[in-house]
Amino acid sequence: MTQEKVQPRLRLTAVSKRFGAVRAIQHADLTVQAGQVHALVGENGAGKSTMIKIVAGAETADTGEIEWAGEKVRIGSTTDAIALGIATVYQEPQLFPELTVAENIFLGKELKKQGRVDWAGQNTKVVELLALLGLPARYATATVGDLSIAEQQQVSIAKALSGDAKVLILDEPSAILTDAEIETLFGVVRRLTASGVSVIYISHRLDELFRIADEVTVMRDGRTIGTYPIGDLSVRQIAHLMVGEELSDTRPQREVPQGPPVLELIDLSRTNKFKNVNVQVKKGEIVALYGLVGSGVSEIAACCYGIERATGGTLKIGGEPASPKNPEEAKRKGIALLPANRKVEGMFGFQSIAFNISAGHLTLLSKLGVFVDRAREKALALDMIKRLSVRTPHERQPISAMSGGNAQKVVLARQLVERPKVLILAEPTQGVDVGAKEEIHRLITELAEEGTAVLVVTSDLPEALRIADRIQVVRGGTTTVEFGPDAKQVDLLAAAAGGSE
Amino acid sequence: MTVAEAPPKEKTDFVRLFLTQRIPLLAVLIVLVVVTFFINDAGGYLTAPYDFDYMSASLINAVPLAMLGLAEMLVILSGRGGIDLSVGAIVSLAGMVFGFAYGMWGWPLWLAIIATAAFGALCGAVNGFLVSYIGFPALIATLATFYAFKSLAIVINNQQPISTEPIQQLFSLSKSVEIPIIGQYIPDIPLGIFTFLLPTVVAVWLLMARTAYGRRLYAIGTNDVAARWSGLPVRDTRFKAYVYAGLISGLVAVVTVAQFASARPDAGVSGNGMALPAITIAVLGGVAITGGIGRVAGVVLATLLIVWLNAGILLAFVGNEGSQYQLLALGAVLVFAALLNGLTNRKYGGAQ
Amino acid sequence: MTTVAEPKAPRTSKIKNLPSPITGQELVLVGVIVILWAALAVSTPAFLTAGSIQPLLVATAPIALVGVGMTIVIITGGIDVSVGGAIMVCSVITAKTLVGSGVNLGVAVLISIIAGAVLGLVNGVLIAYGRVHAIIITFGTANLFMFLGLRIFGSGTVNGIPGTLGFFGRGPDGRTLGVPHAFLATVLITAAAWWYLRHTAGGRHFFAIGGDAQAARLAGVRVQRRVLLAYVITGVLVGLASCFVIAQGTSTLDQSVGSGKELAVIAAVVIGGTSIMGGRGSVLGTMLGALLVQTVSSGVTQLGWRSQLSDLFVGIFIIVAVGADLLRARARRNR
Repeated sequence: MTQEKVQPRLRLTAVSKRFGAVRAIQHADLTVQAGQVHALVGENGAGKSTMIKIVAGAETADTGEIEWAGEKVRIGSTTDAIALGIATVYQEPQLFPELTVAENIFLGKELKKQGRVDWAGQNTKVVELLALLGLPARYATATVGDLSIAEQQQVSIAKALSGDAKVLILDEPSAILTDAEIETLFGVVRRLTASGVSVIYISHRLDELFRIADEVTVMRDGRTIGTYPIGDLSVRQIAHLMVGEELSDTRPQREVPQGPPVLELIDLSRTNKFKNVNVQVKKGEIVALYGLVGSGVSEIAACCYGIERATGGTLKIGGEPASPKNPEEAKRKGIALLPANRKVEGMFGFQSIAFNISAGHLTLLSKLGVFVDRAREKALALDMIKRLSVRTPHERQPISAMSGGNAQKVVLARQLVERPKVLILAEPTQGVDVGAKEEIHRLITELAEEGTAVLVVTSDLPEALRIADRIQVVRGGTTTVEFGPDAKQVDLLAAAAGGSE
Repeated sequence: MTVAEAPPKEKTDFVRLFLTQRIPLLAVLIVLVVVTFFINDAGGYLTAPYDFDYMSASLINAVPLAMLGLAEMLVILSGRGGIDLSVGAIVSLAGMVFGFAYGMWGWPLWLAIIATAAFGALCGAVNGFLVSYIGFPALIATLATFYAFKSLAIVINNQQPISTEPIQQLFSLSKSVEIPIIGQYIPDIPLGIFTFLLPTVVAVWLLMARTAYGRRLYAIGTNDVAARWSGLPVRDTRFKAYVYAGLISGLVAVVTVAQFASARPDAGVSGNGMALPAITIAVLGGVAITGGIGRVAGVVLATLLIVWLNAGILLAFVGNEGSQYQLLALGAVLVFAALLNGLTNRKYGGAQ
Repeated sequence: MTTVAEPKAPRTSKIKNLPSPITGQELVLVGVIVILWAALAVSTPAFLTAGSIQPLLVATAPIALVGVGMTIVIITGGIDVSVGGAIMVCSVITAKTLVGSGVNLGVAVLISIIAGAVLGLVNGVLIAYGRVHAIIITFGTANLFMFLGLRIFGSGTVNGIPGTLGFFGRGPDGRTLGVPHAFLATVLITAAAWWYLRHTAGGRHFFAIGGDAQAARLAGVRVQRRVLLAYVITGVLVGLASCFVIAQGTSTLDQSVGSGKELAVIAAVVIGGTSIMGGRGSVLGTMLGALLVQTVSSGVTQLGWRSQLSDLFVGIFIIVAVGADLLRARARRNR
């Protein structure tokens, strides 16, 4: 509306970036005006994070131009970005818990007076900064470890602004916050823009954009689809831009056998994480729990597997109430779970494929309950390698030397050894190449055909639509609407991201 | 990331093999040490002959060292900063228990040995409970129990060693014996090797390489979060590692009592103590301080290297100079091994 | 216009610049020491006399002093188990110099400190630049230092050490207004270290390194140099502490000097509330920890109990002190 009145603060034109053979982004444009909140949205893998890494100097673009207040600039490193006045707040606060807020903000650039740290001087600045953000001055001398996650995030923002930032990048700041905390965050953002700071705001929650953003740029498949004033769009329209043209789904409809549910969650709750979650999975059925990061989906999965304890509601396996206290008990009751974070929760890094597959089933694989039957172990590993088409020279290959897709297949193989009644898959194809993704999806369908009840917990929308017989949308920690396999992506996204009507 | 990573190069790279495979490296070092001393011996530079008889006799020192090295291997393998500073103190305390049981109360030998081992396991259980169930850093928990066990060992019998008749006669346990049939062709070998060391080595090897428990221990040491998500009993597994370490320490207590012909209250803590050399042996044997990596063969070879090196040093120097140079050798070898581990970690992603 | 809608208008004048200098752990330690002293005073009337307290303070000094360096090392996330061997090297060098050339107090102290600094430098270089786990490296250098110390000893003992270092000893030369110099020096150095750790950028960087070395590096902290410095400081303090050790002894120094001191120092640091995981710690706590350990040891003797029983109490104190800390941390996480 007020175009060309002033130079935009930051403009990226025709920026491209490749990682090996993958085009992360191509010909992307982004224009951020002074004192505005510019939202950047897109599905997982659409190129948002590469885009902000380029702005923040963590990656350099292969081609394209960056202009700062009308001048052409080169951002070769994070230092360059900070020198220009670009500050980034990542999802995980990178703070020192044992130091005070003021110390965290000034670490490595302390104000000094006669050889000692000028605490009063630092605190004055920090209090000013906190006041700008509308935060209480007592934070300045509080130890960071004593603050809540939300407060720590506010401190991260203060730290980012301490270098006199002109552009602040907030990477999914709301994902870990409660509603009340989000309100405080928005207050902070509004104050910043009022004082002339530009904010690049990345979020999956589309509904909140209408309360905070001025403009929105939508990305899809590494391209920027367009930039729009937020007032011109609705949640549904944004969702539509994000998912693009619906491809006609060629997946054959599966016949789901009728029967009682094998896995049943009835009003399952966990304080501050999720509440009143209701899901039923029948024998041979694939149900997807689709929700954004922070919606509580991952915690629901962890609860079903006994990693965390539910604080309310019931979980039934085969009609029997069963709240597993730990993963061992969950496994005994026939539940298997593929963890979401493969490196941390799934892989035994430098150990072999055979080791990784047999790790959870040592009792089953042992003779006299004591010794590992190595012949059976090897046979099992070879069988799984074949069944899951794991590409490897031999079963003694360390899993850490394998590609993401192959490693994921090995971790998945571990879940299949004892033919679970219920298989929970958390983000089964995260960080997995396209070929392996296809294969994993095919495998999940096969497992269901053989009678396993499958619950897929995912934030990957096409995945949910592609493999699930039913899709439960989780939003704000609770199950909301259910969709069939013929649902439209845009409806699902709109339901998960807010404003489904 | 979407492209499958290239398979590891099949080109035989000797430097790489040498650095990442601890066992060939140790074997070469042992040969080097032995040959060096043989040459010195031939040249007449040693105070006594360094021959197979001498090497064999010196193996008596390998018994406690290798056993405690294996004990340390178990706890270090368990990950999360696993270490046991208290093994020497357990040796002292359990040795006193053995002294009471066998030397004073007149228990039969087999029962006294079992009781001592069980007592050692109990001491290990205290460590394991503090580390695994309460969450103490292993260094702290075992530092505390080191002090406690050490103190109890000294106080329990008013600082007095127990060297009654039956205990003194145990010295025969540390004598060398001729092996039947082939014995006349090879040197006599200390009895302790057969009665304590070999059974322990075989048991630990079976435990680590063949049993489900061993797998679990490697698993929790490699990645205890993934172990939990795989439904493994993480706490129980780590707890038992400390119990087994205590059990082995209890057996070492019996060996030590026999060797000294006396249950000495400071047997495992005097001077440098027993924990330090044991940790050194484990690290030298390729046990990664970060957990999950380590093999019995490595620890055994590291023990042989140190024992035969020390034995040679004793002959190369006069008087107590020899024992001093042993410290130099131990320290230098450990620093070298640590730097080597660091280098292989950076260059090749870890030793095996 | 940004100040219009401040939610909780703070009274800026009332803000303290730093969190309280005294932590809970230190208060508890003071409490425990006071109770112990009171109990000992009641049960053995001789306890609260100069003749009993002065040796206690003198004996506390070397452990507390090395503890200052060890605290800094542990704050950075490291550990130094070679201090026992280092004490041996420094004290034998100093003792031999005193016997051989009769240097004066200042020179003797300087020699000891230089020797300690060199040993600390060796550890620091290996750990900071060799990038190897500190405990492994210092286990190795502990052996090397002991070798070095024993070689310098030559024979079993160093005899006929002159009383040059009496200034730090137990005798009347070692006191001013009844306060032992060794303890006074330790208190002053602890106070200086406390100030340095609390009020200078360099001091604060130790805590940042222990919290997250990678993040500290990104924030512009020179991690390797800082780590090196921590071990050199420890070496320097080991040098000075070695002078205290010689002064406390007779005119004869034997080969057991320094033996087992590394564990005693680590025990004092841990009881003092410094986290072995790094990032948190206090030299004041270490001072109190050392005083507590020495009080127990002295008390056990004065009560006529077996002196080795004090180690049992040290073990128990470590468990209680660290256990309480673990519970606090757990409570904080669950909040």
